[in-house]
Amino acid sequence: MDILSWDGTLSSGDFRLAACAFMQKWKSVMSAFPPWSWVPCPKQPWGASASHDVEGYLSLENIILSCYAQEEHDEISCPQKEETSCSEKEELIDIATLSNCSKVPYYDLHIIYSASYRVPVLFFRAYYSDGEPLGFNAIEKDLPAHSAKALLDSKWTFITQEEHPYLNRPWFKLHPCGTSEWMKLLFHVDVSVAKNGVTIELYLLSWLSVVGQVVGLRIPLEMLNQP
Amino acid sequence: MAADSPSSVRKVVVHLRATGDAPILKQAKFKIPGTDKFAKVIDFLCRQLHRETLFVYVNSAFSPNPDELVIDLYNNFGFDGKLVVNYACSMAWG
Repeated sequence: MDILSWDGTLSSGDFRLAACAFMQKWKSVMSAFPPWSWVPCPKQPWGASASHDVEGYLSLENIILSCYAQEEHDEISCPQKEETSCSEKEELIDIATLSNCSKVPYYDLHIIYSASYRVPVLFFRAYYSDGEPLGFNAIEKDLPAHSAKALLDSKWTFITQEEHPYLNRPWFKLHPCGTSEWMKLLFHVDVSVAKNGVTIELYLLSWLSVVGQVVGLRIPLEMLNQP
Repeated sequence: MAADSPSSVRKVVVHLRATGDAPILKQAKFKIPGTDKFAKVIDFLCRQLHRETLFVYVNSAFSPNPDELVIDLYNNFGFDGKLVVNYACSMAWG
C-alpha cells in the first residue's frame, strides 16, 4: 500500500487479516492477560452486506483496566480497604469489604469494523462485579485521568452511546470519524513504512495504542518488537 | 547538588517534530531525565503550544501511554541518540 496515497482506512478483508495478526501477537506477548477472541456473526438475513469475509468482531471481556489491575497482577482483589470506617462498625465489616470489592469495574471491549468509515471502532461497556452497569459519568471517573481527559477533549476522539451492531444493547463507542486522519499520521512517520508500505498486520496495534489510552488499556512496548 | 550517579540522572534527548497542521516550536530539542514519564513531554508540548490536547506519537506508528518512562521509549524508539516525538493538532470535525 503506497503510503503517500493511503487514506488511513482499511478494507473489511484487511480488517480480518489485521485482527488475526493482532490476536496472535497479543497472545504471545500478553500471556498474563486473557486473549482476544474472534466472535463470528451471522450475515444479515437481507444479504445487503458485500463483505462476506468480515462477519465478526474482536472481543475481550471481563477485564480490569484501571489502577486496580496494575497493582494486582494475578488475582482480582479489592482496592485499599478503609480500615478506620470498618473498625467502627464491626458488624458491617463484611458488607463494607464486599462493597469495596464490588466497586472494581470490569470492562468488555469489542473491536468492530465500520463499513461506512472503513476503520475499526471500539465498543465498550463497564460493570461492577455485582453486574451493575457503569453510566457514562462513572466511566469517565474511572478512566485514567491524564490520558483519558486529553483524548476525550480532543476533537478526534469522543464517546457516544449507541446500540451495539450485533448485540442489540446500548454500548459506549469511541466515534470513528477522526480515526482515518490520525491513522494516516501515525503511519506517515514510520520509516519502515516509507520503504515497504503500510503493513496491515500492524494496523490494529497502532490503532489500539491510541484508542486503548481512552479506556486505560496500555499496550506493552514488547508488542512492537515481535517479528 | 550532591555528586550524581550516572544511572540516576541519565537524560534523554527529545526532538519534538510538528506534523499535520501543528505549529513548529522555536525550541524543539531538549533533555529530560529518563525516569520521567512521557506525560511530562505531553504536558510540556501542550503548554508550549497553548493547547489542551495534542495527538502525540513516535516512530513505528505508535502512540505511547503517558505513563511510559521516557527511557523505555528511547530504548524502543530512539535512534541517532535521540527520541523523536511527533505531534499534531486535532482537526475540527468535518
